[in-house]
Amino acid sequence: MDLSEKDEFSAEKRNPDSYDLVSNPSGDWRVSGSNPIDSYPSENLISAGPASCSPSQMMDSFGQTLWYDPTSVQAVGYGGFNVQNNGGNASSSSFRGNIDRSLEMGWNLPNLLPPKGNGLFLPNANSFLPPSMAQFPADSGFIERAARFSLFSGGNFSDMVNQPLGNPESIGLFLQGGGTMQGQCQSNELNVGEPHNDVSTAVKDPTVRSTEQAKPNVPGSGNVSEDTQSSGGNGRKGRETSSNTKKRKRNGQNSEAAQSHRSQQSEEEPDNNGDKKRNSEQSPNSPGNKTNSGKQQGKQSSDPPKDGYIHVRARRGQATNSHSLAERVRREKISERMKFLQDLVPGCNKVTGKAVMLDEIINYVQSLQRQVEFLSMKLATVNPQMEFNLEGLLAKDALQLRAGSSSTTTPFPPNMAMAYPPLPHGFMQQTLSSIGRTISSPLSSMNGGFKRQVCIGGL
Amino acid sequence: MASADKLINTYVPEKDVFALHFLQSLSNLRTQNPLNSPDKSIDRVRKIKKAAYVSMARAAGGTSRLWSRALLRRAAKDDNKSVRFSRRKRKVTWKISSKRKRSNQRAPVVEEAAERLRNLVPGGGGMETSKLMEETAHYIKCLSMQVKVMQCLVDGLSPK
Repeated sequence: MDLSEKDEFSAEKRNPDSYDLVSNPSGDWRVSGSNPIDSYPSENLISAGPASCSPSQMMDSFGQTLWYDPTSVQAVGYGGFNVQNNGGNASSSSFRGNIDRSLEMGWNLPNLLPPKGNGLFLPNANSFLPPSMAQFPADSGFIERAARFSLFSGGNFSDMVNQPLGNPESIGLFLQGGGTMQGQCQSNELNVGEPHNDVSTAVKDPTVRSTEQAKPNVPGSGNVSEDTQSSGGNGRKGRETSSNTKKRKRNGQNSEAAQSHRSQQSEEEPDNNGDKKRNSEQSPNSPGNKTNSGKQQGKQSSDPPKDGYIHVRARRGQATNSHSLAERVRREKISERMKFLQDLVPGCNKVTGKAVMLDEIINYVQSLQRQVEFLSMKLATVNPQMEFNLEGLLAKDALQLRAGSSSTTTPFPPNMAMAYPPLPHGFMQQTLSSIGRTISSPLSSMNGGFKRQVCIGGL
Repeated sequence: MASADKLINTYVPEKDVFALHFLQSLSNLRTQNPLNSPDKSIDRVRKIKKAAYVSMARAAGGTSRLWSRALLRRAAKDDNKSVRFSRRKRKVTWKISSKRKRSNQRAPVVEEAAERLRNLVPGGGGMETSKLMEETAHYIKCLSMQVKVMQCLVDGLSPK
């Protein structure tokens, strides 16, 4: 369980290489990125963090100044915010959402923070967030820097540290909207995974983006698209680096444009900037399909079909080949339908696994068909003359049908006593009309359709 | 998977509809051979069975479901009758199963089961696997409904 892991993490001072975190960026990122959204805050960081280092070691290795700088810089915006503060800043619940989303990024930094006075610090689900974390990096710049800390052991720290913070108002924007945060985080992530040489350009992005964000509407969706578009100004567009982004389940907050930006992108195609909407089936045929390039996108199944396409995003660690994407879509469809079938077929709930379940389904269909055959045989024997009298049958069985499984306790109406007289064809219509009159009210609903059906041809 | 219900349309009419159709087809059975009653029980059984299936297909949606269409067409072919299809926008599914075998990425486990299913479900030959499963779901529902109706009938007709 997560809790046990956390305990481990704090209790035993592991002595791994302090740069493990740095030297194993992709792994960490991947690990953290691949989890679904509901387990993000809890599982990602736990799995990533303890594997690498202990917080104190990290702090030492990175230099505590590094940690403090961003926080101090941000303190301006946050007002008394302090990473190291154990005193428990008032945590705004609004930040929880932001933080969680930032944590989704597989952000190892929270793990690196020294254990607080209250013992166990670990980013976790909402309830576990220590108060100081609540005011943590709603800022894109900080997030990016923080991510870079973990990713790059190179000399970019000074760059990152010295980067001026984004506009204070952007921070304010983050304060307001969780969706904004989410979008920002994601767009930040775009640059995070970029190769080394793009750090500088990418670092500038948050500022650019944040400025852009200041203008449009705060709640999420528009910002993201503008982020991506603004980042398009750089050489390596932010959108293009979406191949390195993690999968983020967007709760419909992001616009379609943003989604289409990120759908099926590879690193080698900066020329797809203009192509906003892209069908999942027609992905840009990136020549070098990196199957494990850390590309990560999430499937958008709730996409409003503006363009009629279903936008699909490759998940992390999967190829963005058009075939494989389509294949994945297909597989997901199939599994979804199988779940539906599972509900239909009785006794399939315990069964797991596609093969067994499919066998079950096939058996069920076969058994149903056999039942039909058997019952038809029975019918044939019961009524050897094949004189199926509608009137009688209706009267008798309708009661059964209506009453469910209850026995036919109600007596037949007397004028129905002529149950099975053989009726020549000519009398059919008369019979039906008589039925129409005599059949009791519960069956009246059947009559309306009944007469209508009669006119329809036979077999 | 409650959300799947909204995505996949598996509406099946009430039992009464099935009963109605079935009884009607049964009565028509008799009128088919007013004079010479088929003595062989096998013929009778076969006729009843066919009537059951056809009525089920009719009740389940006529020509609006793939499997029911295939069923009706199959039945009509035997009787040398023609099935009238309503004019609707038909999506021609040309994804024949043989074409799919080229890509071994399709899970072989699923595919082999899908083959078996295709043999069972009418009209399954030309369907994609996902579509096949939809049709199977609807088919199962309708089949179970038909079974219930027939059971009721048998119970009603059987001598007390």
